[in-house]
Amino acid sequence: MLERTSFREGLRYRGGSSMWAWMLHRITGLGVLLFLSIHILETFTLSFGPDFYNNTMELYNTIFFRVAEIGLLFAVLYHAINGIRITIQDFWPALWRYERALVWAGFVILIFVFIPLAVWGLLPVFRGEL
Amino acid sequence: MRVRFDIKRYDPEKDEAPYFQNYEVELGETDRVLDGLNEIRWRQDGTLTFRRSCEHGICGSDAMRINGRNRLACKTLIREVGRRVRIEPLLGFPVVRDLVVDQQRFFQDYRSVLPFLVNDDPPPPRERLQSPEARRRFDDTTKCILCAACTTACPSAWGNDSFLGPAAIVQAHRFIFDTRDHATVERLARLAGRCGVWACRTAYNCTMACPREIQVTRAIAEVKRAALLGGP
Amino acid sequence: MASYPPAPPTGRFEMYSWLFMRVSGIVLLVMAVFHLLLMHYGIGVEQLNYQVVATRWGSPWWRLYDFFLLLLALTHGMNGARILMDEYLRAGGWRLVLKIVLSLLYLLLLVMGAWVIVTF
Ligand code: SF4
Ligand code: FES
Repeated sequence: MLERTSFREGLRYRGGSSMWAWMLHRITGLGVLLFLSIHILETFTLSFGPDFYNNTMELYNTIFFRVAEIGLLFAVLYHAINGIRITIQDFWPALWRYERALVWAGFVILIFVFIPLAVWGLLPVFRGEL
Repeated sequence: MRVRFDIKRYDPEKDEAPYFQNYEVELGETDRVLDGLNEIRWRQDGTLTFRRSCEHGICGSDAMRINGRNRLACKTLIREVGRRVRIEPLLGFPVVRDLVVDQQRFFQDYRSVLPFLVNDDPPPPRERLQSPEARRRFDDTTKCILCAACTTACPSAWGNDSFLGPAAIVQAHRFIFDTRDHATVERLARLAGRCGVWACRTAYNCTMACPREIQVTRAIAEVKRAALLGGP
Repeated sequence: MASYPPAPPTGRFEMYSWLFMRVSGIVLLVMAVFHLLLMHYGIGVEQLNYQVVATRWGSPWWRLYDFFLLLLALTHGMNGARILMDEYLRAGGWRLVLKIVLSLLYLLLLVMGAWVIVTF
């Protein structure tokens, strides 16, 4: 039961790769939760009839949302892959030795999945369709 | 070589806020950070306050933040830290003066996991025997010197002020996995609660900070598993 | 002899919460990622409209899928937010108020989502 340490002091601590992974896990988690809330609200407008819903969906077809969707994709993928890594390490404590390697392995997988999907998702923007 | 020390100083009775003070000390590569601190205190500035006792990494008095990471000053060589050393007190404790912090809470948490052997069986004539394999099960966690480096490096402990912290769990691990101990159920109940192991997010700062190279995160994960399965 | 502090509170809520985060996380890895890929890359967000949803939800299985996805994802996310509050807000009045707000928000969003899935 320590005294609370300020974010600033905490950020200045030189932890290892797992500490940064942990921090990004929280940030991406919050980001996905925010999107999920918006997504539920927007889906709820289905009950206001076709016009209302279709108008709402039009909002997603803007460059801003297209780029935001790529951010969402990153957040979901990161949160999923990093979460699996943490679960594995929690249930197989002997893997502590490979902590750094596992963080990086997660990143490599993330990049390999994320980059192609991101490019694909941004194609309409590159083609100037939006 | 000349090594520059930037030391965070604070005397709550005199200073309004902590500030950094610089010192230059002539040291060799294989001198320790603690030698630098001693040099400053003995020859340059007698007001610099820090704890140390054994000077050989066994009493746990001189854990501090050295270049942003928790380490023992008496176990850290100058060649590991370079010509500029930044020294700050451990996080999460009230500063008594300079690098000396009030570790009251840390030892309270330590005591709350019952860090002693509980066994009410009548003692056998010579000693309570244990096989070497059973002894090896908790060998790692017997090495703890209660320096608090792990607990004050833990991002969960920085935020969650009801978390008992890695060091207390390491101490509990030492008894939970000891076949001679009979308080496992009680200890696990304390650690499975709101203040216990579930606040650990597997960030490994503790393992990296431990000067005794205890596999702290691993010990915590083993206690998690024991709590989940109801026994070691 | 040193005095021993009172036993820390016991109880298994945090353990179940911890376990839930891991189990639901694994399920969500499959369900949410599949949902995201299907909607964004299979169907395409620009194609999404009232009619598409109506066809999709013509099948009760999709409704069931979406309902479980909603339940798991929202519970996982809101529990995460609760943990953040526990860690970064001081114990006391404000934290309690915010946690109540969070719980209400959780219930509200859950009901809104479920309602539209069921009644659409
Ligand atoms: S586990 Fe290591 S870092 Fe933690 S108190 Fe014990 S010796 Fe210090
Ligand atoms: S002085 Fe004893 S551990 Fe460093």
